[in-house]
Amino acid sequence: MSRRMPKWFMPLFSLGLGVACLVAFWIGDNLRQGLFSLALLGGVGAVFAVGGRSETIRGLRGDGRDEYWYSLDRDATLLAGMTLILVLIGLCFWEWAHGRDGSPYAQLAAIGGATYIAAYIALRMRR
Amino acid sequence: MRELRMERGLSQGELAAAVDVSRQSIISIEKGRFVPSLPLALSLARYFDKTVEEVFHADE
Repeated sequence: MSRRMPKWFMPLFSLGLGVACLVAFWIGDNLRQGLFSLALLGGVGAVFAVGGRSETIRGLRGDGRDEYWYSLDRDATLLAGMTLILVLIGLCFWEWAHGRDGSPYAQLAAIGGATYIAAYIALRMRR
Repeated sequence: MRELRMERGLSQGELAAAVDVSRQSIISIEKGRFVPSLPLALSLARYFDKTVEEVFHADE
């Protein structure tokens, strides 16, 4: 019924993402932005690491997740995905209306649409 | 479910711990904002030694 992750996964993931951002920005000759990203994501990881008394933090972190928190995660992911797809479509229209080819928004929107259709078919076959 | 819980003098946290869910799950179920899955509904009914219909009152 519940899918629980180890409590150290999200803190370490946040920190790892921060390090990856630092490296990427460093390669792009923008060390300052990289350090800011590392600090920001490191801070997020710290909140995950020490905020375990909060059920909300434990739900976000994954170790305190039950079907209620899983449903929140699923619905929030759905909302975020739909928002992103709508924004991408809007940006495509904007680019096309200005005589441009729509890159990379058109490609990103196509990936989103293809993923949705593939997931729909795969889930239909499994359920 | 809230009535059954209070009859037994349980807090929301104690009931949550008994059926291995978060306290927020119990809060949301009691407020009618979250519909538990069938396994969870059965766990709660078994805990109270009632049927699912006696624990939950579906909207008509």
